[in-house]
Amino acid sequence: MIVAGREGGAGGVRVVLESEEAMLLSELADQVDSVLLLGGDDDPALDRLLPTAYPEDETSANEFARYTRESLVDGKRQAAQSVRDATATDRDSGIVEIELDQAQAWDWLTFLTDLRLILAERVGLVDEEADDADEQRDDYLRAAYEWAGIVQGSMLEVLDPMGE
Amino acid sequence: MTSTIEQLDADLVTDEAVRVELPWQAIVWDDPVNLMTYVTYVFQSYFGYPREEAERLMLLVHTEGRAVVATGNREAMERHVQAMHGYGLQSTVARAES
Repeated sequence: MIVAGREGGAGGVRVVLESEEAMLLSELADQVDSVLLLGGDDDPALDRLLPTAYPEDETSANEFARYTRESLVDGKRQAAQSVRDATATDRDSGIVEIELDQAQAWDWLTFLTDLRLILAERVGLVDEEADDADEQRDDYLRAAYEWAGIVQGSMLEVLDPMGE
Repeated sequence: MTSTIEQLDADLVTDEAVRVELPWQAIVWDDPVNLMTYVTYVFQSYFGYPREEAERLMLLVHTEGRAVVATGNREAMERHVQAMHGYGLQSTVARAES
């Protein structure tokens, strides 16, 4: 993975991925989209993505959720879909180069954050008596979590927060 | 005009009115997931805070567990908190303490 500024001083960022990395990102983005689409009220990961605005006032909390939830879910799904589509590739293409303008870069930052929030929740859920299969899954999720953090950190080194 | 304003002021001096006048706050809470650089980036980009102020607030979140990132009327604070949720930050609305 290489993250760099764009040619000619344009804002945004250029991301170069191995095709395996692109496929992994695309798969993860699709899963985040699914969590947002299908996740029920009993999914603790959704509490991380859509936290309460009024922890001590249930009425205000419900009202806030009623007014904001749909557009928050739409925005997060759109970000995940944008990453999924940008990274969709076939297996033999080698390297995938992606140019992101400032707005598209925000989609990536948002998606990577939501992904990490979900992964953190999923890993935390595995109890200490987990069997081998669970532990293996746990290692995979932890690796994805770390890697998503590295991608995001690299993007933040390049992006200008005041850029248009 | 002056007398009108004075009249308004006089009318507002009731307990309920004083309560209503208290500003609201948008608070961002620490969470172990988000990168410090990301939180700083959001504060700079969304609120337009200079880098130093954004970093000061981010460090407050990190060390104190929370920081007040904006103060004002309730609707504006709810808009900010909605935006913070959009960015994946843990954020709540609260009435400012008198």
